[in-house]
Amino acid sequence: MTSSAPTLQELLSHRVILVTGKGGVGRTTCTAALALTAARAGKRVMVAEIQEPTRQTWSPLARLFEESLLPSDSTPLAEGLWGVMLDSRKGTEAFLGSVFNVKALARLAMRTPPLLRFLDAAPSFHEMGIFYHVMEILRAQDHEGAHLYDLLVVDMPATGHTLALTGLPRVLLSLVNRGPMARALREGNQVLKDPAQTTALVVTIPEPLPVSETMELVDGLRASTVAVGGVVVNRIPRDPFTPQERLALADILPREPIAGRVEVDRISRARDSLDRLERGLDFPMIFVDEQPESDASSVLRGMASQLGGLLGGTS
Amino acid sequence: MSWVRDLISEKRIVVCCGAGGVGKTTAAAALALGAAQAERRVLVLTIDPSRRLAETLGIQRNTPEPVIIQPVDVEIPSPGMLSAWVLDPKLVSDRTVERLARSPDEARRLLMNPIYQRVTDMVAGMQEYTAMEALHGFIQQGRFDLVILDTPPSRNALNFLEAPQRLGEFLDGRILKLLLPRNPDAIIGTTRRIINAVLGTVFGEQFYADLQVFFASFAAIFSQLNGNSQRMRLRLQEDDTSFLLVTSPVREALDDAIYFQEKIHQLGLPLGGFLLNRSRVPMVERLFPGEFLLPPHPTPHHRSALGKLVGLARLEQNQVAQHKELVEELLSRTSHEVPLTAIPELAEGVETFVDLDTLASWMLDEQSSQTRPSTGAPEPADPPRQPMQGST
Repeated sequence: MTSSAPTLQELLSHRVILVTGKGGVGRTTCTAALALTAARAGKRVMVAEIQEPTRQTWSPLARLFEESLLPSDSTPLAEGLWGVMLDSRKGTEAFLGSVFNVKALARLAMRTPPLLRFLDAAPSFHEMGIFYHVMEILRAQDHEGAHLYDLLVVDMPATGHTLALTGLPRVLLSLVNRGPMARALREGNQVLKDPAQTTALVVTIPEPLPVSETMELVDGLRASTVAVGGVVVNRIPRDPFTPQERLALADILPREPIAGRVEVDRISRARDSLDRLERGLDFPMIFVDEQPESDASSVLRGMASQLGGLLGGTS
Repeated sequence: MSWVRDLISEKRIVVCCGAGGVGKTTAAAALALGAAQAERRVLVLTIDPSRRLAETLGIQRNTPEPVIIQPVDVEIPSPGMLSAWVLDPKLVSDRTVERLARSPDEARRLLMNPIYQRVTDMVAGMQEYTAMEALHGFIQQGRFDLVILDTPPSRNALNFLEAPQRLGEFLDGRILKLLLPRNPDAIIGTTRRIINAVLGTVFGEQFYADLQVFFASFAAIFSQLNGNSQRMRLRLQEDDTSFLLVTSPVREALDDAIYFQEKIHQLGLPLGGFLLNRSRVPMVERLFPGEFLLPPHPTPHHRSALGKLVGLARLEQNQVAQHKELVEELLSRTSHEVPLTAIPELAEGVETFVDLDTLASWMLDEQSSQTRPSTGAPEPADPPRQPMQGST
């Protein structure tokens, strides 16, 4: 497997990485592993998940760090790493606060139940609030005026949402073209569409269906605001066979079902799928091996150490 | 008979729920094929099929009507019939507006409104709502004996159940009253002043005016939509409806299943059962690799290949054991009333009707249960768990 150190190095130099991909490919673990890797490389990193419209009792990202949910004010997760739940109300409040120089009016507005319900449910307000929360994190500065966070890594939910969120500024700008909201949207759009600042990373696994879906997704993202910076191929099974052994294996595999066959076939499938992916997409790729352990935090540790190894190789 | 076969033979609505990536859409398509083979006229209403599945089924996005599917290499006995439709939220919403508007003029005004034109993309819950609306329409038409609904993709298996409620909040008449311009009933109170100030300043006057026009022309339709939404929720509580949770053999599936069961119970909806997809539990009995595989004069490569094959075989055995454990845990932590069927992953993926047919027979046939190893009987004190096929 080719190593992808320059790719990874370059990816981590962005300010925002949006991690996307179809369900079931390990997207959340990849998000966490990338954030952890960047933090270990000395960056100040915020890893974020997006508040779901429905009430949640736990989130997969929080669980990787032994929390049940992340707060909407950040919480430290590791050395150089903080976690946050992007929260539309928090974003909306911050936005209103910036519009009305008087914080009091913003706070009053946020205490008006009908307005809140409207803002929660009205066209795109949920996303707009989340979007503004992102902007707040990117703008946050310390006493010396340096950014508090070098990098924000966001675990993007289902594909549809990714497109909704990244396409949002443009859609809203077509409706609202003047006023403070339009200004905030333009500012955000600048950050999103600048490939030096923002990149989208698509996670997939080497299986036929996810590979097909990834190609469709990448096609869809071409039309969006955010540039795709790379593809993470996750869970690549280790192929123990040398080419000669593979030939010999064909001699000894019987016709009847035999234990081990499912794995042999899966390994071949993974190889074919990887081929197809590399032929079909000309994006930088990061290859991550399948982890031997199955519990979530071991997988995270394994992935982060592999990514760290990729980075270390170049320094 | 297997519980899944009962379901597709007797119910009129089957709703497939599940988090993204568990194979829900494929499972829904396989169930539909099975139902058609059981001589029912069935429609599978899908949201976002992968390109490959859409090609297999021969369906396209954005067709105005369901398409009758002619399966290749799989027989559907008359009067059985398989139809499919890819939900188009905008189309459903437009038709609803046309139907509910008081005049063609009002309909046209609304359809042309820039905010309305974005509403299906932008209002959370609209996709779910239109799925319900479409479901309702197809059931009322009487063209289908059974409609199988594949719910919109989401991380949370329950989003579908909660989304309409969110839409309901948005459509809440009290909020609308506050927003409508020159509404004679509106109280010019503090609340309204705050809302006017906030929205006017934030959006700019132009957009706020558009928004008010949008609400003014949509107000009447909103209240009807809200009524529909309520009725639909009641409709889904009836006995001829069943909710299925499709899940995959990962730890998170446990939380999903437990939460799903609670929520469904709270909402008074009928829970059909759990389909555990891509499970290694239902695997046919297999030989374990050994020396007997070697040819009479094996080369060193033969021997080392065999050694590695044995390694992979052990790995598989471990996985089967883990999957069994998960099934047991699922069984012990969910209600004894709720059946569970484990379905294997098809090695080559699901690409043809024959593959869908194979998947359907895993779900539906009693025969297949014989190849399922017992999942370990519950403690002797526990009542036997009827629905787990092959385990009793």
